[in-house]
Amino acid sequence: MNNHESLRQLVHDARAPLNRISMNAELVKLVLENDMPKEKALAALDKIIANCQQCSEQLQQISDTHTSD
Amino acid sequence: MLNVLLVDDDSEFSDVVCHIVEFLGHNINTAANLAEAEQWFENNTFDHVFLDFMLPDGSGLHLLEHLKKIGQSPRVTLISGHPSVKGKLAEMCEANVGHLVKPLQREDIERVLNPKKANTKKKSAPSIKRHFGTLIGESDVMHKLYTMIERVAATSANVMLMGESGAGKEVVAQAIHNATACDGPLVATNCGAFSKELIGSELFGHEKGAFTGAVARKEGVFEQAAGGTLFLDEVTEMPIDMQPNLLRVLENKRVTRVGGTKEQAVNCRVISATNRTLDDLAQNNVIREDIYFRLAVFPIDIPALRERKEDIPLLANAFLEQLNEENGTDFKWQASQLKELESHDWPGNVRELRHAIHRAFIMSDPKGSAITLPESLESPFSRVNKETQTSQVMAGQTIEEVEKELIHATLDKVQGNKTIAAQMLGISTKTLYNRLNAYGGIGEYK
Repeated sequence: MNNHESLRQLVHDARAPLNRISMNAELVKLVLENDMPKEKALAALDKIIANCQQCSEQLQQISDTHTSD
Repeated sequence: MLNVLLVDDDSEFSDVVCHIVEFLGHNINTAANLAEAEQWFENNTFDHVFLDFMLPDGSGLHLLEHLKKIGQSPRVTLISGHPSVKGKLAEMCEANVGHLVKPLQREDIERVLNPKKANTKKKSAPSIKRHFGTLIGESDVMHKLYTMIERVAATSANVMLMGESGAGKEVVAQAIHNATACDGPLVATNCGAFSKELIGSELFGHEKGAFTGAVARKEGVFEQAAGGTLFLDEVTEMPIDMQPNLLRVLENKRVTRVGGTKEQAVNCRVISATNRTLDDLAQNNVIREDIYFRLAVFPIDIPALRERKEDIPLLANAFLEQLNEENGTDFKWQASQLKELESHDWPGNVRELRHAIHRAFIMSDPKGSAITLPESLESPFSRVNKETQTSQVMAGQTIEEVEKELIHATLDKVQGNKTIAAQMLGISTKTLYNRLNAYGGIGEYK
């Protein structure tokens, strides 16, 4: 039960970076579609990369927690 | 352009959403928790709120409660991380609350911000004031009515409402009940619908076994309305030989259930209603005089709709708004249509107006926003009334004039069909043609 709850929490936390990735990708699309300054797109892409990293770490944590049991 | 508030503790996510929402042409502010969000609402109003379900200082639902408390109703989109929460949210949320599941996409945001047009209109809805929560109208006659309602609400006097059919007697009864500081309910009953045998049981209740079929004890309407208001509609349609029963309750303020022995105190205000005129009451012996004076301690005349034509646009807007809200449509009146409604006489009063609008609403193309009024607003009843009104013969008219008027009126009624008109007039078709020719040709009745 407890185990299940902690898994839910970890999955929930891992969705946060995915959410940021999704919105930053949308922003990049907007920038490209509307010929806006490319710095904006680059900054968003950097955030996407950083959040991919973070998401990966969180997935690793889930894996660690639930294989060590 | 909308005013949007984003409530989310993820600042990076908030930043990006701000960019996107601003790009979509809207104003956006952010709050990182419930406390900040509530602060924003202290001095601002928002059209739309994006609300994270889980916030550091509580659930997003708390903000919904807070908004209700302070009387603000922006459109709200709850954002949750669990797809499973979505179903639960759908169950408990009201019409103006939507939900999205993370991760979000731009289309999601665009979609929830765009049907917004309907919502800005909803905000203008309260511009039509409902006096006492029910009555619509700003004409002088209605303001006089409001004053009377206020005065009588402060007392416990019995009220008799008089007005034409469809003028809103039950609505006025509700208004008086709303304006009265009482704890009990409003109980409405139609005296014309009682059967002679059951009227006593309806009004006063009965004990178990009082008569065949009385399988359980039943409370009468006087008891049901304890501490509140009893609305006796069409009181003059109650058989006159049953009226003494009513008189006893009104005088003694006590009822005894049919088949019972114990008297019970009655403490409700009685509002009665009739669509008969005072003359009618006096001449036709439909109500006993003693009952009349008990019921009509404070008589109120409800004006007919044609006496307050300036209220028609207000009423028309209110009814259409209600229909739009119920059906998720976006119909609007054109000024010329409101004028057309205003020029009609509405012998069936507000009820007829409301039905005409409903009919027009059903006939209108649901894809458009223009409402289609029927070619003729007349109902079968309005035609009858009009005829009786216009077919008055004045002294001094020549027989020829009256005859001409009669022939034209008959032809109008049968859409110019001369064979039927001649039959109705009791003359031959040939005579009808001769008459029309004598009046200067068949003209419009070709």
